[in-house]
Amino acid sequence: MNTTRARLQRSTGIAATLALTLGLAACGGGDGDDTPGSADGVTVADIDAVLESDEEVTIEYWTWVPDIQDTVDLFEETYPHITVNVTNAGQSADQYTKLQNAVKAGSGAPDVAQIEYFALPQFALSEAVVPLSEVGLGDLEGEYAASAWDQVSVSGAQYGFPQDTGPMVMFYREDILADLGVEVPETWDDFVEVARAIKADNPDNYITSIDPGDAGGVDSLIWQAGGRPFSVDGTTVGVDFTDEGTQQWTELYDTLVQEELVDVTAGWNDAFWRSFADGKYAMWLTGAWAPGSIRNNIPTSEGLWRAAPMPTYEAGTPMNAENGGSAITVMQQSDKKAAALAFARWMTTSPEAVLSQSQAGLFPATTGIMEDPEFLGTEDPFFGNQKTNEVFVEASQSVSSGWQYLPFQVYANSVFGDTAGQALSNATPLADGLQTWQDEAVSYGAGQGFTMAD
Amino acid sequence: MTSPTKPQHAAPGAPAPEATQPPRRTARRSRYTRQDWAGAGFVAPFLAVFVFSIVAPLLYALYLSFFQDRLIGGSFFTGLANYTKALADPLLHAGLGRVLLFLAVQVPIMIGIALFAALAIDSGRLRGSGGFRIALFLPYAVPSVVAALMWGYIYGEDFGLVGQVFDLFGATPPALLSGTWMLASIGNIVTWSFMGYNMLILYSALRVIPTELYEAAEIDGAGALRTAWSIKLPALRPALLLTVIFSIIGSFQLFNEPNVLRSLAPTTITTYYTPNMYAYNLAFNGQQYNYSAAVAVIVGLITVLVAYAAQRVSNRAETGRKSK
Repeated sequence: MNTTRARLQRSTGIAATLALTLGLAACGGGDGDDTPGSADGVTVADIDAVLESDEEVTIEYWTWVPDIQDTVDLFEETYPHITVNVTNAGQSADQYTKLQNAVKAGSGAPDVAQIEYFALPQFALSEAVVPLSEVGLGDLEGEYAASAWDQVSVSGAQYGFPQDTGPMVMFYREDILADLGVEVPETWDDFVEVARAIKADNPDNYITSIDPGDAGGVDSLIWQAGGRPFSVDGTTVGVDFTDEGTQQWTELYDTLVQEELVDVTAGWNDAFWRSFADGKYAMWLTGAWAPGSIRNNIPTSEGLWRAAPMPTYEAGTPMNAENGGSAITVMQQSDKKAAALAFARWMTTSPEAVLSQSQAGLFPATTGIMEDPEFLGTEDPFFGNQKTNEVFVEASQSVSSGWQYLPFQVYANSVFGDTAGQALSNATPLADGLQTWQDEAVSYGAGQGFTMAD
Repeated sequence: MTSPTKPQHAAPGAPAPEATQPPRRTARRSRYTRQDWAGAGFVAPFLAVFVFSIVAPLLYALYLSFFQDRLIGGSFFTGLANYTKALADPLLHAGLGRVLLFLAVQVPIMIGIALFAALAIDSGRLRGSGGFRIALFLPYAVPSVVAALMWGYIYGEDFGLVGQVFDLFGATPPALLSGTWMLASIGNIVTWSFMGYNMLILYSALRVIPTELYEAAEIDGAGALRTAWSIKLPALRPALLLTVIFSIIGSFQLFNEPNVLRSLAPTTITTYYTPNMYAYNLAFNGQQYNYSAAVAVIVGLITVLVAYAAQRVSNRAETGRKSK
C-alpha cells in the first residue's frame, strides 16, 4: 500500500510539474479517489444486485464509437436508476494519453473505458483495469469469438469485455471497378494488377492509401501475411520483423509503394474522406468496424460500396487478421465497480445491445449474434443491399491465431512514423524501415526493464 | 518609455525626512518593525501562489529528473544519468536545431512586420487606423490549435485553398506539408497568430512618446522617416527587447502548431520535431516521466540562456550608443 501511495503522489506531482513547466494542459475529469490495484471485493452477486436495486448511480464512460449513445439509451431505459455519461475523450492514442495520465495521477479516470486490444496489455501491466476473473466473470469465454477472447487475455487473465472485433475486409467502390471493367481481386497478385489498371486510367487515382503514421494498419497487414513480429512471455519480450510472413508483406508493399500504386498519406482527416467521396481511392482495406465510419463521414457514397474478403497470398487459402477492435474495460480507479461491470457486461452480452451496436456499424465480438439468421440476412442499403454480415463473419472465422501485442505497444506505435513510416513516405525498402522500428522498440523495452529476446 | 518616471512619493518603508520623526529611537524602531510586517503581509498571497505553482513544480521536476521509473523494476535514483543521456540524445539535438533555425528566421520576420505595422498605424497617415489595429490583432484571439487546424486545411494539396488556387491556374501546388516546406508553413501560422500581438506592444510603446519630441523634431526640420529613425526607434528599444524575448521563449515552446499538423503529416513531423513535443511524447506515450523532466529542465535552461544573451547584447548596444 505504501509504495502504491508514494507512487500515486509522485505521479500526481509529475503530471502537475509537466503541465506547468512545459505549459501543457493535462486533461481529465470526473472523480474517484480509490487507490488502484484492488477490485474492492466486488462479486457477481454484487453486479447482479446493482441491476435489481433502484439506487441511483451515475457512471462515466469514455468511448469514441460513433452512435454509441443509441445503445446507452437502451440500457438507461432498461435500468432507469443507472445513468451513463458518455464522453468522447479522443480517438485511440489521444484517449490513452488521457487515461494514462489519470491512472498515473490516481484520479480522473472514468468508470468504464473503451480500450483497443493492442493497448490492453499496457493497461493490464499497470493494473489499471479490473481483471474479469477477480470479480468472478472469468467464465464468459463461450460468449465471445475466440479471436476476441484471445485478445483480451494477458498472461492468462482477461482484462475486459470484448466489444467488437475488426476482421480485415476489403471495402471497395463497386462503381469504380465496374467502370474500369476489372474483377474484384481475390489474390494480392490480382490486387496489384487492379492497382496498375487504376493508375493507368488516371495517374491521380490510387487503389487505396496507407497511413505512414498508423502502426496498427501495418501490423494487421503483417499479421495477414502470416508474420508474427511480436512475442511476449511474462516480462520477456521479442521483436523480430525478419520472419517469413513479414518478408512476404514487405515485398508486396515495396512494389505497391515504389510504383506509387497506393497513396502514402495520413488517414482519418478531411482529405482522406474526400478522396473516397471523389473516387481518388477505390478501396479501403480495414476492419469490419468500418461501415459506421464510412456512413458518417461520406454519406454521399451510399449504395456505391461493397465488402469482399481480403486478397490472399495463395489463391484459395483465406488467411485473415484483425484490425482494431476494442474491449469495454472497468477501471480500478472506479468507486462504482459493480454498476460499471454490470453495464459493460450488458453492453457486450445482451442481444439487444449487441444488435444495436451492430446496427451502428460495429462488428460484434459476441458469438450469439453471429449465428443469428436475422443478423446474417440483414441487407445493408449503404452497400447496395449486400448481406455484408455474411462477409464479415466469414472474415472473422478465417483470422489466424498466435498474434501478440507488446506490453508497450502504445509507445511502439507512437514512434512508428519516426521509423518505419519514413520508409513508406520515402519509398525506401520497408524491411530497412521495420528494422529501425525494431531497434527503437528493443531499446525502449530494455530501458523499461523487460528482458529482450534475441 | 525612454525613462521611468521618478516616483513622486517616497516608497513605503523608505526613511521619512528626519525632522518629522519623533526623537525617541525605540519608538522609531518599533514603527519600522510594524511596517516591515505589513509589507510581508501584502506580498504573502502572491508569494504563496508563486511558490506553490512555479517554484515547487520546478524543484519537483528537478528532483524527478534524478530518478528512473521502469515498467518492470520500479523507480530508483540514477544521479545525472538522465542528463548525460539527454545531452547526447540525437533526437533532442534535432529538435533544438529545428527551433533555433525557426527562431533565427521566423522571429526577425514577424517582429519586422509587427514593427512596420506599428509605425504605419502610429504615423497618423493611415485612414481608419483603429480598424487596422483590430484586424491585425484579431488572429491573436484565435486559439493556436484552431489556427493550426485552419491553416492545415488551407495548406492541403488536393482539397485545400492553396491546392485549389494552384489548380485554377493549372499549376502544381507546392507540398506545404512536406519536409522541405513544413517549418516555413509553421512559421507562417505563428507569424499570422502573433504578429498583431507584437504590433500592439510596439504600438503602445510608441503612444507614450511625449509629443514635445515630435514638435521639436518638426521645428528642426525632420521629416517623417527621420522622426521614425531618430525618435521612434530608439524609444522602441525596450519594447522590442520585450517582444524578442517573448518570441524566443515562444519558439522554444513550439508545440501546438506542429502537434496539430502531425495528423496531416505523421512522418514529416516526428515525435521529436520540437523539444517540447519530444518531452510530451516521452512522458505521455513512453511514460518516461523522469527522462522527460530532465529534457524539460535542459530546454528550460537553454531558453533562459538564450533570452539572457539577447538581453545582454541589447544592453551592451544600448550603453555603447549612450557613451558615444
